[in-house]
Amino acid sequence: MIKVDASKCLGCLSCSNVCPSQNITRLETSEKRSIHWKKCKEECDLCVEFCPAKALALVPFDEASEEPTVAFDLVPCKICCGRYATEPMLRRIESILPLNLQKDSTGLAWIWVCPACRRNIEADRATKQMVLERSRKRP
Amino acid sequence: MPVYVDISRCIGCRSCEVACQRVHGGKGHVNVHMAGDHASVPIFCHHCEEATCTMACFTGALYKDGERTAFDVEKCTGCGLCRLACPFGVVGTDKLAHKCDLCVGRETPTCILTCPANALSTDFELASRRARARAAMAVARGR
Repeated sequence: MIKVDASKCLGCLSCSNVCPSQNITRLETSEKRSIHWKKCKEECDLCVEFCPAKALALVPFDEASEEPTVAFDLVPCKICCGRYATEPMLRRIESILPLNLQKDSTGLAWIWVCPACRRNIEADRATKQMVLERSRKRP
Repeated sequence: MPVYVDISRCIGCRSCEVACQRVHGGKGHVNVHMAGDHASVPIFCHHCEEATCTMACFTGALYKDGERTAFDVEKCTGCGLCRLACPFGVVGTDKLAHKCDLCVGRETPTCILTCPANALSTDFELASRRARARAAMAVARGR
């Protein structure tokens, strides 16, 4: 059986992806993500091994214990307000990356912007640069 | 050896997107963005020197292989941390992560071979050489 330390869980779904018997289920809406661990009798610890936060542990089967569920509100993008990730995941990325890489050249904290908006920003930046070059060519 | 883009040449035909999808079993890694009426910009993996996706990956599925940011699908758990750690939003996760591998096993990435406008290349100097040539031409014509 799997014990979950909810305070450490990132909500990344790694465990659910690696579970060979689909005992870890996910429910995702546009605003919330919840993960549910069914009580399993297997002595398999794949999910424990592949948890990036070390939030899981293999414990002896206990009939009386409840099945754990962890729920997260997804974080809205600073630009488009579309919800795209759980807060602990973004906090983890903030803690891993060196500080000088966490802001782009305009000082934007890009971690809190969703991937689609990041691509748009990159496209706009490249376009501006090209338009500028064009206008230099034809004064 | 990432793919360099000369945006002034891009015609927005999305051939690179299609070619990438064809080579990678339907999962493409190129996004052509239309910036209003001004330009079309294909967004690629930059194969960053200090690749933040490799820093975020806890299983070592993403790693630096020379200049290339390579990906080992066997090690991926689909946690999605790399997708959130990419400043350009070019790492996809669709159960498992997928990203540009510069068409490993092929001599030249398929997007470069496909581009009908010659906007893509692996040559960093090409775009600036073209820009210099255009400037010289303008001077020679007396404009």
